[in-house]
Amino acid sequence: MKIVVASGKGGTGKSMFASSLALLFSEVTSVVACDCDVDAPNMGLWLGVTTYDSVERISVSEKARINSEKCIGCGKCFENCVFGAVQKKDSIFTINYLLCEGCGVCQLVCPAGAIDLAPVMNGEIRIKNTKWGFPLVSGQLKPGETGSGRIVQELRERADKLSYNVMILDAAAGIGCPVIASITGCDYAVLVTEPTPSGLSDLRRVLEIVNHFKVPYGVILNKWDINPKVSEKIEEWSGEQFLGKISYDREVVNSIVNLRPVIVSKSKVKNEIREIFEKIKDSI
Amino acid sequence: MHLIASTGGKGGTGKSTFAVLSALKFSNQGKRVLLCDCDVECPNDHLLLGKELYESEPIYQHFPDLDAEKCVSCGTCSKVCKENAIFWVKGKPPVFFKELCSGCGACWIACPENAIGTKEEIIGKTFETKITDNLWLFTGMSEPGIKETGPVVKETKKRALKLAEKIEAEILIVDTAPGTHCNVIQALLGCERAYIVTEPTPLGAHDAALISELLSIMKIPSEIVLNKADVGDQRTIKKIAEEHNIPITIKIPYSERLIRAYSEGRLDKVVNLI
Repeated sequence: MKIVVASGKGGTGKSMFASSLALLFSEVTSVVACDCDVDAPNMGLWLGVTTYDSVERISVSEKARINSEKCIGCGKCFENCVFGAVQKKDSIFTINYLLCEGCGVCQLVCPAGAIDLAPVMNGEIRIKNTKWGFPLVSGQLKPGETGSGRIVQELRERADKLSYNVMILDAAAGIGCPVIASITGCDYAVLVTEPTPSGLSDLRRVLEIVNHFKVPYGVILNKWDINPKVSEKIEEWSGEQFLGKISYDREVVNSIVNLRPVIVSKSKVKNEIREIFEKIKDSI
Repeated sequence: MHLIASTGGKGGTGKSTFAVLSALKFSNQGKRVLLCDCDVECPNDHLLLGKELYESEPIYQHFPDLDAEKCVSCGTCSKVCKENAIFWVKGKPPVFFKELCSGCGACWIACPENAIGTKEEIIGKTFETKITDNLWLFTGMSEPGIKETGPVVKETKKRALKLAEKIEAEILIVDTAPGTHCNVIQALLGCERAYIVTEPTPLGAHDAALISELLSIMKIPSEIVLNKADVGDQRTIKKIAEEHNIPITIKIPYSERLIRAYSEGRLDKVVNLI
Protein backbone atom coordinates (compact mmCIF):
# COMPACT_ATOMS: atom_id res chain seq x y z
CA MET A 1 0.00 0.00 0.00
CA LYS A 2 1.47 3.30 -1.12
CA ILE A 3 0.05 6.54 0.29
CA VAL A 4 1.24 9.86 -1.13
CA VAL A 5 0.81 13.20 0.65
CA ALA A 6 0.57 16.19 -1.72
CA SER A 7 -0.89 19.69 -1.79
CA GLY A 8 0.18 21.84 -4.71
CA LYS A 9 0.79 24.81 -2.47
CA GLY A 10 3.89 24.81 -0.30
CA GLY A 11 3.83 25.14 3.45
CA THR A 12 0.36 23.69 3.99
CA GLY A 13 1.69 20.93 6.24
CA LYS A 14 2.52 18.02 3.92
CA SER A 15 5.73 16.92 5.61
CA MET A 16 4.27 17.42 9.08
CA PHE A 17 1.31 15.23 8.18
CA ALA A 18 3.28 12.64 6.18
CA SER A 19 5.73 12.12 9.04
CA SER A 20 2.83 11.81 11.52
CA LEU A 21 1.12 9.30 9.27
CA ALA A 22 4.29 7.20 9.05
CA LEU A 23 4.60 7.21 12.85
CA LEU A 24 0.96 6.25 13.37
CA PHE A 25 1.01 3.46 10.80
CA SER A 26 4.23 2.13 12.37
CA GLU A 27 2.24 1.43 15.54
CA VAL A 28 0.14 -1.15 13.66
CA THR A 29 2.20 -2.36 10.71
CA SER A 30 5.56 -2.18 8.94
CA VAL A 31 6.25 1.17 7.32
CA VAL A 32 8.75 2.84 5.03
CA ALA A 33 8.81 6.64 4.80
CA CYS A 34 9.83 8.23 1.52
CA ASP A 35 10.76 11.91 1.27
CA CYS A 36 10.09 12.70 -2.40
CA ASP A 37 10.56 16.47 -2.06
CA VAL A 38 14.04 16.27 -3.54
CA ASP A 39 14.27 20.06 -3.94
CA ALA A 40 13.75 20.74 -0.26
CA PRO A 41 13.54 17.48 1.70
CA ASN A 42 12.08 18.17 5.14
CA MET A 43 10.39 14.93 6.21
CA GLY A 44 13.53 13.87 8.08
CA LEU A 45 13.50 17.00 10.24
CA TRP A 46 9.88 16.32 11.22
CA LEU A 47 11.04 12.87 12.40
CA GLY A 48 14.00 14.35 14.26
CA VAL A 49 16.45 12.88 11.73
CA THR A 50 19.53 15.00 11.05
CA THR A 51 22.07 12.30 10.13
CA TYR A 52 21.78 9.27 7.87
CA ASP A 53 23.07 5.69 8.04
CA SER A 54 23.95 5.58 4.36
CA VAL A 55 24.38 8.17 1.63
CA GLU A 56 24.58 6.97 -1.96
CA ARG A 57 25.66 9.41 -4.64
CA ILE A 58 23.96 8.91 -7.99
CA SER A 59 23.75 10.53 -11.39
CA VAL A 60 20.27 11.41 -12.61
CA SER A 61 21.14 13.50 -15.63
CA GLU A 62 23.76 14.33 -18.20
CA LYS A 63 25.02 17.69 -19.37
CA ALA A 64 26.20 18.70 -22.82
CA ARG A 65 29.73 19.93 -23.44
CA ILE A 66 30.93 21.78 -26.54
CA ASN A 67 34.46 21.10 -27.69
CA SER A 68 35.52 24.57 -28.82
CA GLU A 69 38.28 23.20 -31.05
CA LYS A 70 35.85 21.12 -33.08
CA CYS A 71 33.01 23.70 -33.09
CA ILE A 72 32.52 25.33 -36.49
CA GLY A 73 30.16 28.01 -35.15
CA CYS A 74 27.16 26.99 -37.30
CA GLY A 75 24.67 27.70 -34.50
CA LYS A 76 22.53 24.59 -35.06
CA CYS A 77 22.72 23.70 -31.36
CA PHE A 78 21.64 27.23 -30.45
CA GLU A 79 18.65 27.10 -32.82
CA ASN A 80 17.42 23.69 -31.68
CA CYS A 81 17.74 23.86 -27.90
CA VAL A 82 14.22 24.39 -26.56
CA PHE A 83 15.57 24.98 -23.05
CA GLY A 84 17.63 28.01 -24.10
CA ALA A 85 20.73 26.33 -22.70
CA VAL A 86 23.04 27.14 -25.62
CA GLN A 87 24.41 30.64 -25.35
CA LYS A 88 26.03 32.74 -28.01
CA LYS A 89 28.54 35.43 -27.18
CA ASP A 90 30.87 36.98 -29.77
CA SER A 91 29.92 34.10 -32.10
CA ILE A 92 31.21 31.56 -29.59
CA PHE A 93 28.73 28.96 -28.40
CA THR A 94 28.71 27.65 -24.85
CA ILE A 95 26.37 25.56 -22.71
CA ASN A 96 24.66 27.19 -19.76
CA TYR A 97 25.08 24.35 -17.31
CA LEU A 98 22.11 25.48 -15.22
CA LEU A 99 19.67 25.32 -18.12
CA CYS A 100 20.91 22.17 -19.85
CA GLU A 101 18.43 19.30 -19.45
CA GLY A 102 20.78 16.76 -21.01
CA CYS A 103 18.29 15.90 -23.76
CA GLY A 104 21.05 15.47 -26.35
CA VAL A 105 19.41 17.47 -29.15
CA CYS A 106 22.52 19.64 -29.58
CA GLN A 107 24.65 16.55 -30.00
CA LEU A 108 22.20 15.16 -32.58
CA VAL A 109 22.18 18.30 -34.73
CA CYS A 110 25.89 19.16 -34.49
CA PRO A 111 27.42 18.48 -37.93
CA ALA A 112 30.97 18.67 -36.55
CA GLY A 113 30.69 16.12 -33.78
CA ALA A 114 31.76 18.82 -31.36
CA ILE A 115 29.25 18.06 -28.61
CA ASP A 116 29.12 15.19 -26.18
CA LEU A 117 27.08 14.41 -23.09
CA ALA A 118 28.63 13.54 -19.75
CA PRO A 119 26.82 12.19 -16.70
CA VAL A 120 27.01 14.36 -13.59
CA MET A 121 26.91 13.14 -10.00
CA ASN A 122 24.08 15.34 -8.87
CA GLY A 123 21.85 13.30 -6.61
CA GLU A 124 21.96 11.68 -3.22
CA ILE A 125 19.82 8.95 -1.77
CA ARG A 126 19.96 8.74 1.99
CA ILE A 127 18.61 6.01 4.20
CA LYS A 128 18.06 6.16 7.95
CA ASN A 129 16.71 3.49 10.26
CA THR A 130 14.85 5.91 12.48
CA LYS A 131 14.53 5.49 16.21
CA TRP A 132 10.81 5.12 15.60
CA GLY A 133 11.40 1.65 14.19
CA PHE A 134 10.95 2.28 10.46
CA PRO A 135 13.31 3.36 7.70
CA LEU A 136 13.29 6.76 6.00
CA VAL A 137 14.46 6.97 2.40
CA SER A 138 15.21 10.53 1.36
CA GLY A 139 16.46 12.04 -1.87
CA GLN A 140 18.23 15.27 -2.57
CA LEU A 141 19.07 16.80 -5.90
CA LYS A 142 21.91 19.30 -5.83
CA PRO A 143 20.59 22.86 -6.22
CA GLY A 144 20.67 23.93 -9.85
CA GLU A 145 20.69 20.38 -11.25
CA THR A 146 18.10 18.66 -13.42
CA GLY A 147 16.43 15.30 -12.95
CA SER A 148 14.14 15.70 -9.94
CA GLY A 149 11.59 13.27 -11.41
CA ARG A 150 14.24 10.64 -11.97
CA ILE A 151 15.65 10.90 -8.47
CA VAL A 152 12.13 10.34 -7.13
CA GLN A 153 11.91 7.16 -9.26
CA GLU A 154 15.31 6.02 -7.98
CA LEU A 155 14.46 6.55 -4.34
CA ARG A 156 11.10 4.85 -4.73
CA GLU A 157 12.92 1.83 -6.19
CA ARG A 158 15.25 1.74 -3.17
CA ALA A 159 12.30 2.02 -0.78
CA ASP A 160 10.40 -0.70 -2.62
CA LYS A 161 13.20 -3.19 -1.92
CA LEU A 162 12.74 -2.78 1.84
CA SER A 163 10.08 -4.89 3.49
CA TYR A 164 6.97 -2.91 4.31
CA ASN A 165 3.21 -2.98 4.27
CA VAL A 166 2.65 0.75 4.03
CA MET A 167 4.84 3.25 2.17
CA ILE A 168 4.26 6.93 2.97
CA LEU A 169 5.47 9.31 0.26
CA ASP A 170 5.90 13.03 0.96
CA ALA A 171 5.62 14.90 -2.36
CA ALA A 172 7.10 18.27 -3.28
CA ALA A 173 5.07 21.44 -3.71
CA GLY A 174 3.76 22.23 -7.19
CA ILE A 175 2.33 19.92 -9.84
CA GLY A 176 5.38 19.38 -12.07
CA CYS A 177 7.73 16.47 -12.70
CA PRO A 178 8.77 15.47 -9.15
CA VAL A 179 5.12 15.58 -8.04
CA ILE A 180 3.96 13.52 -11.01
CA ALA A 181 6.74 10.99 -10.27
CA SER A 182 5.56 10.81 -6.64
CA ILE A 183 1.83 10.36 -7.33
CA THR A 184 2.05 7.82 -10.13
CA GLY A 185 1.58 4.23 -8.96
CA CYS A 186 0.20 5.20 -5.54
CA ASP A 187 -2.89 3.58 -4.05
CA TYR A 188 -4.15 6.59 -2.16
CA ALA A 189 -3.44 10.32 -2.01
CA VAL A 190 -3.87 12.58 1.00
CA LEU A 191 -4.23 16.17 -0.16
CA VAL A 192 -3.35 18.73 2.50
CA THR A 193 -4.69 22.24 2.14
CA GLU A 194 -5.26 25.40 4.17
CA PRO A 195 -8.25 27.78 4.30
CA THR A 196 -6.95 30.45 1.93
CA PRO A 197 -7.87 31.17 -1.69
CA SER A 198 -4.35 29.99 -2.65
CA GLY A 199 -4.78 26.75 -0.74
CA LEU A 200 -8.01 25.94 -2.55
CA SER A 201 -6.75 27.03 -5.97
CA ASP A 202 -3.64 24.82 -5.66
CA LEU A 203 -5.68 21.93 -4.29
CA ARG A 204 -7.78 22.03 -7.45
CA ARG A 205 -4.64 21.95 -9.57
CA VAL A 206 -3.00 19.02 -7.81
CA LEU A 207 -6.32 17.18 -7.95
CA GLU A 208 -6.13 17.25 -11.75
CA ILE A 209 -2.90 15.23 -11.52
CA VAL A 210 -4.37 12.84 -8.93
CA ASN A 211 -7.45 12.28 -11.11
CA HIS A 212 -5.30 11.82 -14.20
CA PHE A 213 -3.61 8.86 -12.52
CA LYS A 214 -6.99 7.71 -11.11
CA VAL A 215 -5.67 7.64 -7.55
CA PRO A 216 -8.39 7.67 -4.85
CA TYR A 217 -7.90 10.59 -2.49
CA GLY A 218 -8.97 12.37 0.67
CA VAL A 219 -8.68 16.03 1.69
CA ILE A 220 -7.31 17.40 4.96
CA LEU A 221 -7.71 20.99 6.05
CA ASN A 222 -4.77 22.23 8.10
CA LYS A 223 -4.84 25.39 10.27
CA TRP A 224 -8.61 25.42 9.62
CA ASP A 225 -9.34 27.96 12.34
CA ILE A 226 -7.31 30.78 10.74
CA ASN A 227 -10.32 31.28 8.48
CA PRO A 228 -13.41 29.23 9.43
CA LYS A 229 -15.42 30.73 6.56
CA VAL A 230 -13.07 29.56 3.80
CA SER A 231 -12.69 26.27 5.73
CA GLU A 232 -16.39 25.66 5.48
CA LYS A 233 -16.24 26.27 1.74
CA ILE A 234 -13.38 23.81 1.25
CA GLU A 235 -15.07 21.20 3.43
CA GLU A 236 -18.23 21.51 1.38
CA TRP A 237 -16.28 21.43 -1.88
CA SER A 238 -14.47 18.24 -0.81
CA GLY A 239 -17.74 16.42 -0.08
CA GLU A 240 -17.28 12.76 0.75
CA GLN A 241 -13.55 13.04 0.21
CA PHE A 242 -13.18 15.22 3.30
CA LEU A 243 -11.07 13.46 5.93
CA GLY A 244 -10.87 16.04 8.69
CA LYS A 245 -9.31 19.21 9.95
CA ILE A 246 -6.32 20.21 12.03
CA SER A 247 -6.21 23.36 14.19
CA TYR A 248 -3.58 26.07 14.08
CA ASP A 249 -1.33 25.61 17.08
CA ARG A 250 1.92 27.43 17.74
CA GLU A 251 3.05 24.33 19.62
CA VAL A 252 3.56 22.74 16.17
CA VAL A 253 6.24 25.35 15.47
CA ASN A 254 7.89 24.55 18.81
CA SER A 255 7.87 20.90 17.97
CA ILE A 256 9.79 21.46 14.71
CA VAL A 257 12.17 23.88 16.43
CA ASN A 258 12.96 21.09 18.91
CA LEU A 259 12.95 18.45 16.14
CA ARG A 260 10.27 16.45 17.92
CA PRO A 261 7.53 14.79 15.87
CA VAL A 262 4.14 16.41 16.46
CA ILE A 263 2.67 13.04 17.40
CA VAL A 264 4.88 12.82 20.50
CA SER A 265 4.65 16.55 21.35
CA LYS A 266 2.32 18.39 23.71
CA SER A 267 0.34 19.87 20.82
CA LYS A 268 -3.41 19.34 20.81
CA VAL A 269 -3.28 18.66 17.07
CA LYS A 270 -1.90 15.18 17.68
CA ASN A 271 -5.37 13.96 18.62
CA GLU A 272 -6.88 15.51 15.52
CA ILE A 273 -4.21 13.85 13.38
CA ARG A 274 -4.90 10.51 15.06
CA GLU A 275 -8.59 10.79 14.21
CA ILE A 276 -7.75 11.48 10.57
CA PHE A 277 -5.35 8.54 10.58
CA GLU A 278 -8.15 6.22 11.77
CA LYS A 279 -10.33 7.44 8.91
CA ILE A 280 -7.58 6.88 6.34
CA LYS A 281 -6.95 3.40 7.75
CA ASP A 282 -10.62 2.59 7.29
CA SER A 283 -10.91 4.02 3.78
CA ILE A 284 -7.93 2.21 2.24
CA MET B 1 14.67 48.90 -14.96
CA HIS B 2 15.37 46.92 -11.81
CA LEU B 3 14.72 43.19 -11.88
CA ILE B 4 14.38 41.59 -8.45
CA ALA B 5 13.16 38.18 -7.28
CA SER B 6 11.26 36.81 -4.33
CA THR B 7 12.30 33.20 -3.72
CA GLY B 8 12.98 30.89 -0.80
CA GLY B 9 13.50 27.16 -1.42
CA LYS B 10 10.77 26.08 0.96
CA GLY B 11 7.09 26.40 0.16
CA GLY B 12 4.68 28.45 2.20
CA THR B 13 7.26 30.75 3.76
CA GLY B 14 5.71 33.90 2.29
CA LYS B 15 7.37 34.36 -1.11
CA SER B 16 4.17 35.54 -2.78
CA THR B 17 3.18 37.64 0.23
CA PHE B 18 6.53 39.42 0.14
CA ALA B 19 6.45 39.86 -3.64
CA VAL B 20 2.93 41.34 -3.57
CA LEU B 21 3.65 43.58 -0.55
CA SER B 22 6.84 44.88 -2.21
CA ALA B 23 4.98 45.55 -5.46
CA LEU B 24 2.27 47.47 -3.57
CA LYS B 25 4.83 49.40 -1.54
CA PHE B 26 6.85 50.52 -4.56
CA SER B 27 3.72 51.44 -6.49
CA ASN B 28 2.39 53.40 -3.50
CA GLN B 29 5.63 55.37 -3.67
CA GLY B 30 4.70 56.32 -7.21
CA LYS B 31 6.97 53.88 -9.05
CA ARG B 32 5.75 51.98 -12.10
CA VAL B 33 5.82 48.32 -11.09
CA LEU B 34 5.27 45.02 -12.87
CA LEU B 35 4.80 41.94 -10.70
CA CYS B 36 5.46 38.69 -12.57
CA ASP B 37 4.08 35.50 -11.03
CA CYS B 38 6.49 32.78 -12.19
CA ASP B 39 5.18 30.11 -9.82
CA VAL B 40 3.46 28.69 -12.88
CA GLU B 41 2.49 25.38 -11.29
CA CYS B 42 0.55 27.14 -8.54
CA PRO B 43 0.25 30.88 -9.28
CA ASN B 44 -1.42 32.79 -6.45
CA ASP B 45 -0.40 36.45 -6.62
CA HIS B 46 -3.73 37.44 -8.19
CA LEU B 47 -5.58 35.81 -5.29
CA LEU B 48 -3.53 37.86 -2.83
CA LEU B 49 -4.59 40.96 -4.75
CA GLY B 50 -8.22 39.82 -4.85
CA LYS B 51 -8.24 39.60 -8.66
CA GLU B 52 -9.50 37.01 -11.10
CA LEU B 53 -7.55 36.23 -14.24
CA TYR B 54 -9.12 36.91 -17.63
CA GLU B 55 -8.09 36.81 -21.29
CA SER B 56 -5.19 34.45 -21.43
CA GLU B 57 -2.66 34.06 -24.17
CA PRO B 58 -1.60 30.45 -24.77
CA ILE B 59 1.98 29.20 -24.66
CA TYR B 60 2.68 26.51 -27.23
CA GLN B 61 5.28 23.82 -27.44
CA HIS B 62 6.05 21.23 -30.10
CA PHE B 63 5.36 17.59 -29.31
CA PRO B 64 6.08 14.55 -31.52
CA ASP B 65 3.39 13.38 -33.94
CA LEU B 66 4.08 10.01 -35.55
CA ASP B 67 3.20 9.33 -39.17
CA ALA B 68 2.54 5.58 -38.92
CA GLU B 69 2.81 5.11 -42.68
CA LYS B 70 6.35 6.41 -42.85
CA CYS B 71 7.53 4.68 -39.65
CA VAL B 72 9.74 1.63 -40.22
CA SER B 73 9.76 0.63 -36.53
CA CYS B 74 13.54 1.02 -36.25
CA GLY B 75 13.44 2.26 -32.65
CA THR B 76 15.87 5.15 -33.15
CA CYS B 77 13.46 7.61 -31.51
CA SER B 78 13.17 5.45 -28.41
CA LYS B 79 16.96 5.16 -28.13
CA VAL B 80 17.62 8.91 -28.28
CA CYS B 81 14.84 9.84 -25.83
CA LYS B 82 16.50 10.63 -22.51
CA GLU B 83 13.15 11.00 -20.79
CA ASN B 84 12.15 7.38 -21.51
CA ALA B 85 8.97 8.81 -22.99
CA ILE B 86 8.99 6.52 -26.04
CA PHE B 87 8.26 2.84 -25.61
CA TRP B 88 9.40 0.58 -28.39
CA VAL B 89 9.40 -3.20 -28.93
CA LYS B 90 11.41 -4.58 -31.86
CA GLY B 91 9.33 -4.79 -35.01
CA LYS B 92 6.57 -2.56 -33.63
CA PRO B 93 6.00 1.17 -34.06
CA PRO B 94 6.88 3.29 -31.01
CA VAL B 95 4.36 4.43 -28.40
CA PHE B 96 4.72 8.01 -27.12
CA PHE B 97 3.94 8.92 -23.54
CA LYS B 98 3.05 12.56 -23.55
CA GLU B 99 3.18 12.92 -19.78
CA LEU B 100 6.88 12.01 -19.84
CA CYS B 101 7.76 14.10 -22.91
CA SER B 102 9.69 17.32 -22.42
CA GLY B 103 9.25 18.37 -26.07
CA CYS B 104 13.03 18.54 -26.57
CA GLY B 105 12.82 17.36 -30.20
CA ALA B 106 15.45 14.62 -30.07
CA CYS B 107 13.07 12.01 -31.59
CA TRP B 108 12.01 13.96 -34.65
CA ILE B 109 15.53 15.15 -35.29
CA ALA B 110 16.93 11.62 -35.04
CA CYS B 111 14.23 9.78 -37.03
CA PRO B 112 15.95 8.50 -40.23
CA GLU B 113 12.63 8.29 -42.12
CA ASN B 114 11.32 11.73 -41.16
CA ALA B 115 8.30 9.88 -39.83
CA ILE B 116 7.93 12.09 -36.78
CA GLY B 117 6.31 15.42 -37.35
CA THR B 118 5.37 17.88 -34.68
CA LYS B 119 2.13 19.18 -33.37
CA GLU B 120 1.76 22.30 -31.31
CA GLU B 121 0.11 21.88 -27.97
CA ILE B 122 -0.68 24.32 -25.23
CA ILE B 123 1.66 23.89 -22.25
CA GLY B 124 0.51 26.96 -20.39
CA LYS B 125 -0.89 30.45 -20.62
CA THR B 126 -0.17 33.97 -19.50
CA PHE B 127 -2.48 36.67 -18.15
CA GLU B 128 -2.02 40.42 -18.04
CA THR B 129 -3.89 42.22 -15.25
CA LYS B 130 -3.84 45.92 -14.56
CA ILE B 131 -4.13 46.48 -10.82
CA THR B 132 -3.75 50.28 -10.53
CA ASP B 133 -2.48 53.10 -12.73
CA ASN B 134 1.09 52.14 -11.99
CA LEU B 135 0.90 48.49 -10.96
CA TRP B 136 0.51 45.54 -13.31
CA LEU B 137 0.43 41.81 -12.68
CA PHE B 138 1.63 39.30 -15.24
CA THR B 139 0.84 35.67 -14.46
CA GLY B 140 2.15 32.44 -15.98
CA MET B 141 0.20 29.20 -15.52
CA SER B 142 1.19 25.71 -16.66
CA GLU B 143 -1.31 23.19 -17.97
CA PRO B 144 -1.83 20.45 -15.37
CA GLY B 145 0.02 17.29 -16.40
CA ILE B 146 2.86 19.17 -18.07
CA LYS B 147 6.06 17.71 -16.69
CA GLU B 148 8.64 20.34 -17.58
CA THR B 149 7.39 23.73 -16.47
CA GLY B 150 10.70 25.53 -17.09
CA PRO B 151 9.67 26.44 -20.68
CA VAL B 152 6.41 27.95 -19.36
CA VAL B 153 8.41 30.15 -16.99
CA LYS B 154 10.82 31.08 -19.78
CA GLU B 155 8.01 32.27 -22.05
CA THR B 156 6.19 34.00 -19.18
CA LYS B 157 9.29 36.03 -18.39
CA LYS B 158 9.93 36.83 -22.01
CA ARG B 159 6.41 38.25 -22.35
CA ALA B 160 6.65 40.03 -19.00
CA LEU B 161 9.84 41.78 -20.11
CA LYS B 162 8.07 42.93 -23.25
CA LEU B 163 5.16 44.27 -21.21
CA ALA B 164 7.57 45.97 -18.81
CA GLU B 165 9.06 47.84 -21.75
CA LYS B 166 5.63 48.83 -23.05
CA ILE B 167 4.40 50.19 -19.74
CA GLU B 168 7.80 51.69 -18.93
CA ALA B 169 8.07 49.79 -15.66
CA GLU B 170 10.80 50.89 -13.30
CA ILE B 171 10.74 47.70 -11.26
CA LEU B 172 9.97 44.14 -12.30
CA ILE B 173 9.40 41.82 -9.34
CA VAL B 174 9.60 38.10 -10.11
CA ASP B 175 7.84 35.71 -7.75
CA THR B 176 9.36 32.22 -8.09
CA ALA B 177 8.09 28.73 -7.29
CA PRO B 178 9.46 26.86 -4.27
CA GLY B 179 12.45 24.62 -4.86
CA THR B 180 15.87 25.01 -6.41
CA HIS B 181 15.52 23.58 -9.92
CA CYS B 182 14.57 24.24 -13.54
CA ASN B 183 11.49 26.42 -13.14
CA VAL B 184 13.07 28.41 -10.30
CA ILE B 185 16.30 28.84 -12.27
CA GLN B 186 14.38 30.16 -15.29
CA ALA B 187 12.62 32.65 -13.02
CA LEU B 188 15.85 33.84 -11.39
CA LEU B 189 17.81 34.27 -14.64
CA GLY B 190 18.81 37.87 -15.18
CA CYS B 191 17.63 39.09 -11.76
CA GLU B 192 19.96 41.60 -10.15
CA ARG B 193 18.96 40.74 -6.60
CA ALA B 194 17.03 37.99 -4.86
CA TYR B 195 15.13 38.07 -1.60
CA ILE B 196 15.18 34.73 0.20
CA VAL B 197 11.92 34.59 2.11
CA THR B 198 12.17 32.12 4.96
CA GLU B 199 10.95 31.41 8.48
CA PRO B 200 12.84 30.83 11.74
CA THR B 201 12.53 27.05 11.92
CA PRO B 202 15.01 24.25 11.10
CA LEU B 203 12.94 23.69 7.90
CA GLY B 204 13.29 27.31 6.82
CA ALA B 205 17.00 27.27 7.58
CA HIS B 206 17.58 24.00 5.74
CA ASP B 207 15.83 25.18 2.58
CA ALA B 208 17.28 28.71 2.74
CA ALA B 209 20.73 27.12 2.68
CA LEU B 210 19.81 25.21 -0.49
CA ILE B 211 18.50 28.26 -2.36
CA SER B 212 21.54 30.27 -1.18
CA GLU B 213 23.72 27.66 -2.83
CA LEU B 214 21.83 28.08 -6.11
CA LEU B 215 21.98 31.88 -5.92
CA SER B 216 25.69 31.74 -5.33
CA ILE B 217 26.15 29.48 -8.39
CA MET B 218 24.07 31.99 -10.39
CA LYS B 219 26.07 34.89 -8.92
CA ILE B 220 22.93 36.71 -7.83
CA PRO B 221 23.40 38.85 -4.68
CA SER B 222 20.77 38.11 -2.07
CA GLU B 223 19.20 39.17 1.21
CA ILE B 224 17.15 37.21 3.71
CA VAL B 225 13.58 38.18 4.55
CA LEU B 226 12.58 36.56 7.81
CA ASN B 227 8.85 35.97 7.86
CA LYS B 228 6.94 35.16 11.07
CA ALA B 229 10.19 36.34 12.64
CA ASP B 230 8.93 36.06 16.20
CA VAL B 231 7.58 32.50 15.94
CA GLY B 232 10.20 29.79 16.35
CA ASP B 233 13.89 30.22 16.88
CA GLN B 234 16.05 32.65 14.87
CA ARG B 235 19.39 31.04 15.79
CA THR B 236 19.40 28.47 12.98
CA ILE B 237 18.66 31.14 10.34
CA LYS B 238 21.35 33.44 11.73
CA LYS B 239 23.85 30.60 11.43
CA ILE B 240 22.91 30.00 7.77
CA ALA B 241 23.06 33.74 7.08
CA GLU B 242 26.57 33.94 8.52
CA GLU B 243 27.78 30.81 6.75
CA HIS B 244 26.56 32.08 3.38
CA ASN B 245 27.40 35.69 4.12
CA ILE B 246 23.86 36.87 3.39
CA PRO B 247 22.39 39.68 5.50
CA ILE B 248 18.98 39.39 7.16
CA THR B 249 17.55 42.74 6.08
CA ILE B 250 13.80 42.48 6.57
CA LYS B 251 11.82 40.93 9.40
CA ILE B 252 8.08 40.47 9.15
CA PRO B 253 6.41 39.68 12.48
CA TYR B 254 3.75 37.01 12.84
CA SER B 255 0.53 38.91 12.32
CA GLU B 256 -3.06 37.79 12.43
CA ARG B 257 -3.94 40.91 10.47
CA LEU B 258 -1.63 39.71 7.70
CA ILE B 259 -3.15 36.22 7.72
CA ARG B 260 -6.62 37.72 7.46
CA ALA B 261 -5.60 40.09 4.66
CA TYR B 262 -3.96 37.14 2.86
CA SER B 263 -7.08 35.00 3.00
CA GLU B 264 -9.29 37.93 1.94
CA GLY B 265 -7.10 38.91 -1.00
CA ARG B 266 -6.52 42.33 0.56
CA LEU B 267 -2.76 42.54 1.12
CA ASP B 268 -3.04 46.24 0.25
CA LYS B 269 -4.31 46.71 3.83
CA VAL B 270 -1.04 45.58 5.40
CA VAL B 271 1.66 47.15 3.22
CA ASN B 272 3.09 48.83 6.31
CA LEU B 273 4.32 45.45 7.57
CA ILE B 274 7.42 45.58 5.34
